[in-house]
Amino acid sequence: MIDQLGNGLLLGIIISVASVALSLLYGVTRIVNFAHGEIIALGAIVTLFLSGPIDSKVLFLDRFSPLGMSFFTSATIAVLLCGVFGALLELFLFRPLRKAEVGNIAVLVVTIGLSIFIRHIYLLFATGRVQNFPLDLERRQTYLFFEMTPRNFKVLIAGLIVMIIIGLFLTFTRIGKAMRAVRDSGELASVSGINSDNIILFTWILSSMLAGLAGIFQAIINDVRYNMGFLILLLIFAGTVLGGIGTSFGAMVGGLLIGIFVQVSVALPFMEGHTEAKNAVALAIMILILLFRPQGIFGQKERIS
Amino acid sequence: MKLPLRWLVTLLLTIFSIYLVFVFNEEGPLRILINLLTFAGIYGLAAIGLNVHFGLTGLLNFGHASFMGVGAYVTLLLIPHAAGREGEITESGLPFLLALLIGVIAAALFGLLLGLPAIRLRGDYLAIVTIAAAEIFRLLVRDLESITGGVYGIINFSEALQKYRPAFLESFVSNYELNPSQVWVGLLSWISILLVLLLLRRLTKSPWGRALRAVREDEDAVRALGKNAVWLKLQSFMLGAGIAGLAGVFLAFNYGSLQTTTFVPLLTFYVWAIMILGGVGSLSGPIFGSIIFWVIISETDKLASLIFENANGQQLAGVRFVLVGLLIMILMIFRPSGLLGKKEELLLNVK
Repeated sequence: MIDQLGNGLLLGIIISVASVALSLLYGVTRIVNFAHGEIIALGAIVTLFLSGPIDSKVLFLDRFSPLGMSFFTSATIAVLLCGVFGALLELFLFRPLRKAEVGNIAVLVVTIGLSIFIRHIYLLFATGRVQNFPLDLERRQTYLFFEMTPRNFKVLIAGLIVMIIIGLFLTFTRIGKAMRAVRDSGELASVSGINSDNIILFTWILSSMLAGLAGIFQAIINDVRYNMGFLILLLIFAGTVLGGIGTSFGAMVGGLLIGIFVQVSVALPFMEGHTEAKNAVALAIMILILLFRPQGIFGQKERIS
Repeated sequence: MKLPLRWLVTLLLTIFSIYLVFVFNEEGPLRILINLLTFAGIYGLAAIGLNVHFGLTGLLNFGHASFMGVGAYVTLLLIPHAAGREGEITESGLPFLLALLIGVIAAALFGLLLGLPAIRLRGDYLAIVTIAAAEIFRLLVRDLESITGGVYGIINFSEALQKYRPAFLESFVSNYELNPSQVWVGLLSWISILLVLLLLRRLTKSPWGRALRAVREDEDAVRALGKNAVWLKLQSFMLGAGIAGLAGVFLAFNYGSLQTTTFVPLLTFYVWAIMILGGVGSLSGPIFGSIIFWVIISETDKLASLIFENANGQQLAGVRFVLVGLLIMILMIFRPSGLLGKKEELLLNVK
């Protein structure tokens, strides 16, 4: 079981970063964003094409070569591009929908359409193959009482640092406070002089950058696939729900817990030989939470029926 | 006067899309059309079930694939079949109709099982719970290989249905070089659509149907009038799930084998696209939506292989999903009522 703890932490940190992003967006905009997974995949795919070796042709139906940039630069550009993408989504899709007062069930269905649309654009123009970042293979080492490669350990540390930064940002900066104000009550926030349109735009950018980062983490630990975001999306929902929908700190803990649950459940006695079903455990936890403690671990009571 | 116009446009679009099949396919257009209409019938049936959930009652169900799956798996496991890695043969089984009945009831009961706790949840939460439950179902089916055949699926079950194929079909089919088993499955799915529509027409015009719509519009008012809103929602959930189960059985017989990969969330999204295109809340809308949808889908494949020369099969199949996603978005933004739906009957806000 301890063997799986390291894997659980790694999966947990991916889900955790992505859950915070999803939860921030839901809190401020009330959008259940099914296209979140596609922004995650965007981070990984852009990084792959910036850093991939220049002598291979993979992009746009194998017509163009990757740029062969250094990995760190590629990842940075990818995260920024995800932010730009989030801004474009808000400016050209979700802001007009909000201004036209389209109902939130309609918007939810729109995000599902968007998710299918973007995901298969990736399949068409990016890749249908499973690919890896051009990084050297590393040997696993022991850290405290779990084993992982040095690179994955760095991912874990980086993830934790990002969480701390996000936490400090939300608690102490003006814009972080404004985001929480809009989340708690849009009307009261605008009465106190907060421009909620700008805050929502900023939330889209921040959420998308975090999602892109989670995608890069996921690709370092596992691999790049066109549907990598969709595969993990339900686990992200589970993390968000477990921590309490709309709470950022809850989502961090909830995401970590879900990742650990999923990996550790592999070692449970009744799961022996059923490792394929491990995600079912996390989803079942999510359903149980929604039924019996819908506000999650850290959320406040809210009407959900 | 608005209603006839909507119907006229819908009928013209449907006829035009069928005409397109003949324009685009010089060789064997009839065979392609029959294949397409079979899929349209099966998915249309599933979309009618979904419309009972979303259109009539306002329940945001994104786990439709699991209801189809339960119907298909229960029915097939009860009739003679072969399953699993070794293709283990089960020769004895119930007669098809009895197995089908049990399969449909099982799908409805699965709806009850899922609905019992989840039905009280607000719209967006229900969406997450249903999609998660559908994934749990799929993962379990894939995992329980000894019962369901797991990733190896179920095969050799078609005979149970095909032995009832009437003789007149053979002569008709041989004249046009069609696949007789598919024609039979297609015919049955369209007969089922007619029967289900007749049933639903009766039901929606009854006091029960009015109460359902009232639940969608204002649940508290329904409660105040002494109706049990939760039980009404559950009944709707079971009815729609049962119809989906029936569609699932036909889907399996149309493929000739049953695979867990059939019941991925994309199947649900297909059915959603068809329902929105046909018209949320319109009983017969999904039929037309389904035909038009499948013409678009099947002709895209050919168009895509012309445009994207060096794309592989998986990528070409991706083009149709690009279109499905786009269709869902555009319809939901610009015409959420689809072809035959009524805008004032749409539930678009979380209550």
